[in-house]
Amino acid sequence: MSSLLTFISVNDGKIKRSSLEVLSRCREEAERLGLDNEAVVVAPDASNYSEQLSGYGVSKVYVVEDPIFKNPLNTPLLKALDAVIEKAAPRVVAFASTEGSKDILGALSASRNVPALPDVSSFEVTDSGVSGKRPVMAAKILSSVEAKGDTVLVSVRSGSYDLTESSSEPEVETIDFSVSEEEIKVVLKEILSASGDRVDLSEAEVVVAAGRGVRDEEGREMISELASVLNAGIGASRALTESGAYDPSLQIGQTGKVVSPQLYIGIGISGAIQHVAGIMNSKVIVAINKDPDAPIFDIADYGIVGDLYKVLPPFIEEIKKLKVS
Amino acid sequence: MKFYICIKQVPDVNAPLQIKEGQLLQDTDRMILNAYDASAVEEALVLSEKHDGEVEVVLIGPDKAKETLRKALAMGADKGTHIVTEDESYDSAVYSKILTAFFNDKEYDYIFCGKQAQDTDSGLTGGMLAMQLDLPYTTNAVGMEFENGSILVKRQGDAGQEMISVPSPGLVTCSNDMNEPRIPSLKGIMQSKRKPVDTISTGDLGLSEDDLAVRTQILSFEEKPEREAGRKFEGEPDEVAREVAKLLDEEAGVL
Amino acid sequence: MDEKFDCIIVGGGVAGLAAAMTLARKNLKFLLIEKGEFAGAKNVSGGVLWGEDLAKLVPDYWEEEDGGWERFINHRRLTFLDEGSSFSVDFKSQHFNETPYTGVVVLRSKFDRWLAGKVEEAIAESDYAMDSFVAPNILVEEILMEGDKAVGIRAGEEKFYADSVILAEGVNNLLTRQVGLQDSYVPADHMLTGVKEVIRFDQKVLEDRFQLNGLSGMSNEFVGYATRGIEGGGFLYTNRDTLSIGLVLGLKDLREKGSPDKKLTPYDILNDFKNHPAIADTIRGGEVVEYSAHIVSSGDKRVIPEKLYKAGLLVCGEAANLLMNAGKAIQGMDYAIRSGILAAENIVQAKEKNDFSEARMKAYQDELEKSYIMKDINNFQDAVHMLHDPLMYQKVPNLINHFGRQFFSISNRPTRKAREMMRESVKEHASWWELVKLGIKGARSL
Ligand SMILES: Cc1cc2nc3c(=O)[nH]c(=O)nc-3n(C[C@H](O)[C@H](O)[C@H](O)COP(=O)(O)OP(=O)(O)OC[C@H]3O[C@@H](n4cnc5c(N)ncnc54)[C@H](O)[C@@H]3O)c2cc1C
Ligand SMILES: Cc1cc2nc3c(=O)[nH]c(=O)nc-3n(C[C@H](O)[C@H](O)[C@H](O)COP(=O)(O)OP(=O)(O)OC[C@H]3O[C@@H](n4cnc5c(N)ncnc54)[C@H](O)[C@@H]3O)c2cc1C
Ligand SMILES: Nc1ncnc2c1ncn2[C@@H]1O[C@H](COP(=O)(O)O)[C@@H](O)[C@H]1O
Repeated sequence: MSSLLTFISVNDGKIKRSSLEVLSRCREEAERLGLDNEAVVVAPDASNYSEQLSGYGVSKVYVVEDPIFKNPLNTPLLKALDAVIEKAAPRVVAFASTEGSKDILGALSASRNVPALPDVSSFEVTDSGVSGKRPVMAAKILSSVEAKGDTVLVSVRSGSYDLTESSSEPEVETIDFSVSEEEIKVVLKEILSASGDRVDLSEAEVVVAAGRGVRDEEGREMISELASVLNAGIGASRALTESGAYDPSLQIGQTGKVVSPQLYIGIGISGAIQHVAGIMNSKVIVAINKDPDAPIFDIADYGIVGDLYKVLPPFIEEIKKLKVS
Repeated sequence: MKFYICIKQVPDVNAPLQIKEGQLLQDTDRMILNAYDASAVEEALVLSEKHDGEVEVVLIGPDKAKETLRKALAMGADKGTHIVTEDESYDSAVYSKILTAFFNDKEYDYIFCGKQAQDTDSGLTGGMLAMQLDLPYTTNAVGMEFENGSILVKRQGDAGQEMISVPSPGLVTCSNDMNEPRIPSLKGIMQSKRKPVDTISTGDLGLSEDDLAVRTQILSFEEKPEREAGRKFEGEPDEVAREVAKLLDEEAGVL
Repeated sequence: MDEKFDCIIVGGGVAGLAAAMTLARKNLKFLLIEKGEFAGAKNVSGGVLWGEDLAKLVPDYWEEEDGGWERFINHRRLTFLDEGSSFSVDFKSQHFNETPYTGVVVLRSKFDRWLAGKVEEAIAESDYAMDSFVAPNILVEEILMEGDKAVGIRAGEEKFYADSVILAEGVNNLLTRQVGLQDSYVPADHMLTGVKEVIRFDQKVLEDRFQLNGLSGMSNEFVGYATRGIEGGGFLYTNRDTLSIGLVLGLKDLREKGSPDKKLTPYDILNDFKNHPAIADTIRGGEVVEYSAHIVSSGDKRVIPEKLYKAGLLVCGEAANLLMNAGKAIQGMDYAIRSGILAAENIVQAKEKNDFSEARMKAYQDELEKSYIMKDINNFQDAVHMLHDPLMYQKVPNLINHFGRQFFSISNRPTRKAREMMRESVKEHASWWELVKLGIKGARSL
């Protein structure tokens, strides 16, 4: 019996929510089609995660464990996945769409000689492969796509599916792995980590995003305060990551991250399509902008027309009050 | 030091679009150089100016895409190859196959691609090409410099940035967060006309129809489920701020 | 390549492209510079290109199924509006179906780009295939002068030289002012602002609604309530599957009547216009896909620079404020094309004699005076002024509609004679004396 295989991304000892979303979708599809729902974890401590996965109806977990996976290098990961796919021969290998999976999807597709559908917002398994929907043209429109093959790689935008739990006792299979120095031709020199990213943006339930309208330290402090009151992740438009005001990891949009919070608050952001491309999966969008014609108001559920420097203080104060009561 | 940049002509995502019977139509027919590729060209030009290099661009696309090739030459690339195909159904896999065939007999230090094509946002071609040419690679570069004969790439990862050294020959895919691509000068535009452009077909590369069969396909396009514009609040900052905060709590229930 | 050009054209609108096409065909070496990302990028205006000159530039353009144009006009309508009614004069003719068409609707960003492509083709076939250029995305900042003669241009750090310069920079004619051909302060009050929306429909719906057949199209001008009493008028043109709808509004009047506290922006007025029952019914179900605003000349002769030339320099198109708006149509693009052709032809002759002196350049203005452009502008000045008379855009439309309401209503009461109705309408909305004056003016002006 063949299977659907979900690649589980981990970060700081935790499974990423976006991977669990994908896993939840795969379980649904596996149940519908009577296939096995399997997962693969590739990490220095990969075997630690089977427990967490048991809550998501997984029948088998492939584990590839090696200290090398602590580093974000594509060659070892490709080699590990190649071995697992060879073994599991799944109908679908599904990833959460992250910079990590984007780094390998093309190469894996070529090395396995299987088609790939990147960044879908929904997908289903068909007789001949996978069909799905992908946002294109900076997420202005949706395309219906289809991939034909015995195995198809799919990556899924965060926030596309809800988490659904279902308990199981997964069997754990460890895959032997080794990689030699010579095989890894690129050299990781250094990891520069993001500053002040308390909450992982793509996982955050609330996102406060700053744009060019936030023009000074005073403004950034208000952003921090609002974020801390809401326990939100801070994001930024390209205008502010480019200027150095915010760390590039915090950029939201076509070039940056796709966020899928319950609440997104865009502050001093005009709403260029490339930014909006990253926030469409938000449940509720709030915009604060002094220009009543700013395009972001076209998609905001609640739009406040006003100077952010005047709007934010009472806004923060009121939220504090509401949070207390 | 020799650079090859793979560039794609894409429709301008800012131009008005419409969908008719599932097909995507552009009012202005406006095509541009993929912004990520423009950044790749820019970066190669800067590196080759510093380290005495040579920059070639290669584009797969219809006849009318030659204006995009010209644009890269006008920016300063030295030479171009236009692989002419009128087939619009090709996916990243097919493009990477054509590029693989093209690069098979070429000598180079680095191939740069865009991290993704602005229209499809696939982001597959670079990785596919690297694998097929058996090149070390890295993706999503936001900065580059030379160090001991290798390119040191600053790449944007999920949580932070990584410094990765890619030896030659190698491949890098580029983000537009890396630089501000130059706008061609008048001189550049004039010189571009005299720069050599090879125009070839996929047949010239020894590829047959079967080699170019797609396995992924766009079946149709549709409007995204419309996000209704909600309410706009204008007035006293103090009042509207408090009102919206309350609504977020009571009406939207997201606090 | 470093040698100088025969001509540098500033501006890739219709005037500049017409000049370029002419130079390419005549084998001159030229450089056309356009500040927009591509020809047409900034020219969101557009409407009907009247006359047959397009065929001079691109013979048989109508053979191109998907050329730069949208539809040809065979149906024209002039509508007077008051607050709730509309009174139209409507004319449709089979004669307009024949090629060369006498009017085609265009969308500029598409049309200019297409025409620029045709210019590129002409360059490729000329002796200067490698040495003539259309260069977009470059702003010309200065005309280089040697004494009183134009010798080239400067764009950023770059300087390029030529025997001659054609200024086709459009209505915002900074360079024309820079070389001293236009006073900097004159025009403002003789300027109008144009606002326009493009509204999309299902093509079939559009064709049914406006009785379009194949690529036939309709043009509709509006006078009266369209502008809420502000000097100007409205227009509606059918494109392939969109409508262009908009207003031109006197800047001065707008400033005075649309004072900031009243917040009457051109956009608001356009919205009102669209909500007028006569318009609302025709645009129902459409989706706005584009909004644009642009200054446009009033067509008042007083804003046309006295001299349109200098040694080595010619001004054409709307940079020279060549435009006509006498109520029945806006003519700017056809003037731009014809004047661009005339300017280029003059450069060709100057090149033959290698004479770019002021005296030689004057021949262009003489040709222009002899052409239909200046003849029309001269002959219809009164009509232009009349159109800008409040009587014309306020009282007359009200009067006509008042009359129309009575004339066309049928009630179960004795019907009055039309003459009586007319008298009442006039009493209500104007004085006989005003009308007599207007009538005399009108008779003279047309
Ligand atoms: C290929 C490509 C990819 C891109 N990818 C991304 C991406 O991933 N993410 C991204 O964000 N952008 C991206 N961009 C850039 C994008 O097009 C915009 O340039 C960018 O998003 C603009 O950022 P902004 O809204 O902060 O700035 P602006 O567009 O300058 O808007 C600033 C806004 O702040 C408002 N404002 C100013 N002062 C105040 C005040 N005191 N109070 C309230 N409001 C105020 C203004 O009214 C204005 O609306 C990309 C562009 C390209 C070409
Ligand atoms: C709302 C509206 C509706 C109209 N409707 C009609 C109509 O129905 N029929 C009609 O015939 N006319 C109409 N017109 C008028 C018509 O659009 C103009 O008269 C016509 O475009 C003039 O052509 P042009 O080539 O002289 O100038 P433009 O078309 O304005 O072209 C000038 C070009 O020069 C470029 N440029 C300017 N300065 C520089 C510089 N320094 N360096 C480089 N490039 C530069 C500009 O980017 C532009 O592309 C309308 C105008 C408006 C605003
Ligand atoms: N038709 C093409 N011609 C040349 N390069 C291409 C083409 N398609 C894709 N590429 C390269 O591959 C990158 C990623 O494309 P994609 O996989 O389509 O997102 C682009 O930014 C280009 O560098």
